[in-house]
Amino acid sequence: MSAHTLLVPLLRMDVAPRFDLAVEVLLVGFDESSAETGRQHMMLAHSSADDLCDFILRQGVTVVVANGIEEGYYHYLRWKRVEVLDGVMGPADLVVERFAQGRLAAGDILFERSDARGN
Amino acid sequence: MTAKSALPASARAESGLAGLPGAAFLEALDRFPAGVAIVDRARCIRFMNRRLEAMTGYGREEAAGLPCAQVLKSAACVRACPVAAGGDAIGQDTDLLTRSRQRLPVRLSAVPLAEGYCLEVLEDLSPLRDAEKRLAAPFGAGSLLGRSREMERLFGLIPVLAQSDAPVLITGETGSGKDLAAEALHAASPRSREPFLRLNVSPMPEALIESELFGHRQGAFPWAEADKAGAFIAAGRGTVYLAEIGDLPSPQQAKLLGVLDQGLATPVGATSGVKVAARLMVATNRDPEDLVREGRLREDLLRRLGAMRIHLPPLREREGDVEYLLRHFLGTYAAALRKEVTGYAPKALRLLLDYPWPGNVRELKNVVEYAVMVCSGRLVLPLHLPQHVAQHVAESGQARPAKAPARPRRSSP
Repeated sequence: MSAHTLLVPLLRMDVAPRFDLAVEVLLVGFDESSAETGRQHMMLAHSSADDLCDFILRQGVTVVVANGIEEGYYHYLRWKRVEVLDGVMGPADLVVERFAQGRLAAGDILFERSDARGN
Repeated sequence: MTAKSALPASARAESGLAGLPGAAFLEALDRFPAGVAIVDRARCIRFMNRRLEAMTGYGREEAAGLPCAQVLKSAACVRACPVAAGGDAIGQDTDLLTRSRQRLPVRLSAVPLAEGYCLEVLEDLSPLRDAEKRLAAPFGAGSLLGRSREMERLFGLIPVLAQSDAPVLITGETGSGKDLAAEALHAASPRSREPFLRLNVSPMPEALIESELFGHRQGAFPWAEADKAGAFIAAGRGTVYLAEIGDLPSPQQAKLLGVLDQGLATPVGATSGVKVAARLMVATNRDPEDLVREGRLREDLLRRLGAMRIHLPPLREREGDVEYLLRHFLGTYAAALRKEVTGYAPKALRLLLDYPWPGNVRELKNVVEYAVMVCSGRLVLPLHLPQHVAQHVAESGQARPAKAPARPRRSSP
C-alpha cells in the first residue's frame, strides 16, 4: 500500500451520515506499510460540502470515507483523484482500523445492530 | 428481521393498535403511499415500509437495528433529531440522501408511540418541487413556449381546463407540444402532487396494452407471476396520459369507455372492477374525425373525450413564434453547451424563418441545438445549419427577406 491520508467526516464518534453536514473530521496519515503516522481531529468553521472538498484537496487527502455524499461531490472528488468509499456506516475508530487492514469497502456497515428493545 | 417481529406486541398494544395483528398492521404500512419508519428509544430502525425502502435504497432487513440518522441521512436527523426532541414533529420540510447519492426533498412528521418507540413518516416532495419549478418558470404553462395569439389563447385555457376532472383530448401535429400541454394541464390541476403517467401504446402487443392500462392478476398470462396494478390504479388521483389514442386497439377502447363511464378498471384475470380516480388525457396527431372514419377510433369514445379538446397549432401558423423560439433555444443551448453564441447572422435567420418546420417545435429545437453545437463563433451562419434546412428553402424558391424583429413582449408559455 502507498502512503495515504484518510479523511472521515464525523458525527460524534461515528462516520457522519452526511458529508455536506459534517462539522468535524478525522484526518489519519498512513505510511507505505499501513502504519499510522498521525491523527488529527479537526472542527470545521461550518458545514459545507464545497468547503470540505477544498479542505480535502488542500490537505492532500487521498481517501475519503463517508456515508451519504451527493453524486456531484462524489464525482468531483474522484475526478480530482481522491478515492471515495461512501455508504460506510460505523464508529470512526473501527473504520480507520479496517482501512489500515485493507478490509474496508464502500457500503460497509460496521455498527453492531441493537436488538428490538433498543439495547 | 421479519415484518411480523418488527414491532413488539407491547408497543402495538400500548399505541392503541392492539386490535390489529402485527402482520396486518405492517402490511397496511407497506401500502401507505409515504415512507414510514418505526424507530426505538435508541433511535434505531425497527421497521421500514416498502415506500421508504424505495426512497432510501436500503432494504428493511439491512436497515433493522441501525441508527435511523445513518440510514435516512436526513438533514433534520443530523441537525435536530425529531425523535430525540420527544418524537413530535409535524410537517417539517427537510431532505434525505438516497443510497444512490441523490438528494430527495421530504416532509418529515414524527409521532411518539409507547415505550419510547416513534413513528416517522417521510413524504417525498420531489413531484411537488418539480411542479413548483415548472410553474415558476418564465413561461406560464410548463415548458410550452410561445407568444403568438394562438398560443396565448391556449395558455389562458389550460388553467381553466386543469380544474376539471373530465377527460381531455389533445390534438396537434407531431412535435407541436401535445405531451407538454398534457404535463402543463396536470401541473396546473389539483392533481399535480399525484403521479402523471404517460403511456405510449403503439409498440405494445394487445395483451400488454391491457395489462399496462388496467393491470392484471397473478396467472392471467403465462408471464404474470404476481398481481400488477395498471396505470389507472398506479396513478391514484393523478393523471393517465395516452400519447396516441389512434394506436389503441378497439377492445381496449371499449374498456377505456367503461372506465370513463363507471370509474371502474378491471385488471386482466379479475372478476370485478377496481374503483379508479385518475383523470384521462389522450392525444393524437391525426384529425380524430378521420380516425373515426377509418375505424381506428370508436365514435362513442370520441364523443366522450371530445368535450374538452385542446388543439396545438402547427408552428407555421403561429405568427412570430418561430423567431421567438429560435432566440429562446439559442440562449438555452448556448448556456448548456457553454458556447458564446449570441445570435443568428441575417442570412441564417432568413433561412430559418422561411423553413416550414414540418416537425414543429421539436424539430426547431433540434436544429438550434445542432447549430449551436457546430457554431464556433458568436453568430450562427448558414453553414452551421443542417443541410436539409437550406436545401428545402432553396428548392421551394427564393427565400424571403428576413422580417423585422417582432415587438418585444413578455412571453407567456
